[in-house]
Amino acid sequence: MREVIKLGFILLLITSVAAVVLGVTNDATSVIIEQREQEEKIQALKVLIPNADEFTQIDDLLLADKQDVVEAYEGLKDGVVVGYAVKVNPSGYGGDVNIIVGFTSEGITTGIIIGSHTETPGLGSKIEDEVFVNQFTDRATDRALISVKRSIEQDNEIQAISGATVSSDTVINGVNAAISLLREVLMKHSSGCSCYG
Amino acid sequence: MSASSIFIILVSSILVNNFVLSRFLGICPFLGVSKQVETAFGMGMAVTFVMALASLMTFMVQHFILIPLGLEYLQTIAFILVIASLVQLVEMIIQKSSPTLYSSLGVFLPLITTNCAVLGLTILNIQMELTMIEAVIHGVGAAIGFSLAIILFAAIREKLEYYNVPEPFKGFPIALIVASFMSLAFLGFTGLV
Amino acid sequence: MKLKELVYKGIITENPVFIQLLGMCPVLAVTNTAENALGMGAATTAVLIGSNFVISLLRKFIPSKIRIPAFVVVIATFVTMVGMVMKAYLPALDAALGLFIPLIVVNCLILARAEAFASKNSVTKSVVDGVGMGLGFTIALVILGAVRELLGAGTIFGATMTWSSFEPAGVMGLPPGAFLALGMLLALYNKIASMKLKKQ
Repeated sequence: MREVIKLGFILLLITSVAAVVLGVTNDATSVIIEQREQEEKIQALKVLIPNADEFTQIDDLLLADKQDVVEAYEGLKDGVVVGYAVKVNPSGYGGDVNIIVGFTSEGITTGIIIGSHTETPGLGSKIEDEVFVNQFTDRATDRALISVKRSIEQDNEIQAISGATVSSDTVINGVNAAISLLREVLMKHSSGCSCYG
Repeated sequence: MSASSIFIILVSSILVNNFVLSRFLGICPFLGVSKQVETAFGMGMAVTFVMALASLMTFMVQHFILIPLGLEYLQTIAFILVIASLVQLVEMIIQKSSPTLYSSLGVFLPLITTNCAVLGLTILNIQMELTMIEAVIHGVGAAIGFSLAIILFAAIREKLEYYNVPEPFKGFPIALIVASFMSLAFLGFTGLV
Repeated sequence: MKLKELVYKGIITENPVFIQLLGMCPVLAVTNTAENALGMGAATTAVLIGSNFVISLLRKFIPSKIRIPAFVVVIATFVTMVGMVMKAYLPALDAALGLFIPLIVVNCLILARAEAFASKNSVTKSVVDGVGMGLGFTIALVILGAVRELLGAGTIFGATMTWSSFEPAGVMGLPPGAFLALGMLLALYNKIASMKLKKQ
């Protein structure tokens, strides 16, 4: 019995030291992680809504029933809305794909930024290529975008990457989710939430 | 919790995202304990048992201990300790209650602690934001997928013994190439869910 | 045993991947590019050196009955620390390796070194052993990653290596390619080893 207590005590001691060490590391790194994520977010927002000087986050309650939508922002210049950005994470071939979609206040796309994803390198990872990404710039949003495997004929078509249709469709679905949020919520709503400089 | 979502989780974890052939979890036992169908079957049963229990236990640890206390960063350490003690407990219970079951599963149980499929499963459960019931179903599905892969693989390896394999390919190299073809076949399930 | 020999042993004669076949899950899972392979190798090496150091330091303090849970706690602590640091400074790599960072805990290589070496040897020797085994693991991973990236995407470390008409075999980046490439490399390793033996 005494031996069991001794063994338990030693194990407890090792575990407590481990927990303390991890607590300290977590305190040190979590600040950096948060700061970096915040900076990256503002960087991305500035690219997608270039003429805005202030960004406000849209209340989560308004996004509640939208699938794949993570966050949405309004870009303001002198207090007037000049554009929107919507962060979506549709699930692709290898896992979630993080995408931020930018719009002007008239509802024209300004472009997309592909964030972290785990699509297959050399195949699905081609969704990062400029040829594909640039297709999402200056698109009207009155109709949902559709994926085609031939060259583009209509103005709401996106040419999928050959050999990576699943990943291409994932991006298109994500952008369509952002478009439906834009059309149904953002453009009907006026600003007034927590602010980012 | 509808019947269709249970079905989707099962099909996805058994076939589409097969733990061994597409997620690369549990490769060590897959290569190590697959020389005979009988031992492969025993390993599969033991893993199924532990995976279902581990899904339940780690769900409770995560949602009733780690999240309320804000200690999510201790997840890895907490889960591996839960799994290790669970395996130990299961071993003791089986040994006391059913000596026959123990003689067939006993040797595999200690190996399961370091089977990355179990730890991987419990972390995936949390990442996929599954509910408690979904997590247990995912655990059972993952274990069935693991068992399916390891039993099929063992059956092929038993046959392989009779063939004249080129000298440098004997042993693991040819086994890995067999695994490659199995994985290629399982790729065909992509898009099923 | 000399320290230099310990390193040589880890890289060549007792290479954890090609000879001992340890830690196969990350070997297959994250070697779709050379860069991911290098990141995984570096993370594993860092954990291995750290755990070997602490375990050899505590080898007289830890009773043998509870050594396995004690080792696992030490290893898990280092793995979590490495994970946090990667998330803070190398977020892209962290996202690419994903689940396989916490899974370094159950990499059989690390527990095997703790049990077979660090718990019986001095601190210096254990650290050097960690360096050798870690390097051996990393080199094997990078070779496999480079082969798969070259055949699967025509690049190595993201730099184009092939002529323009080269059509990459995308399957090499997918799970079947991982099994196939490792099987072929092991066979090649066996062939070279047997040729050397014949010469002698």
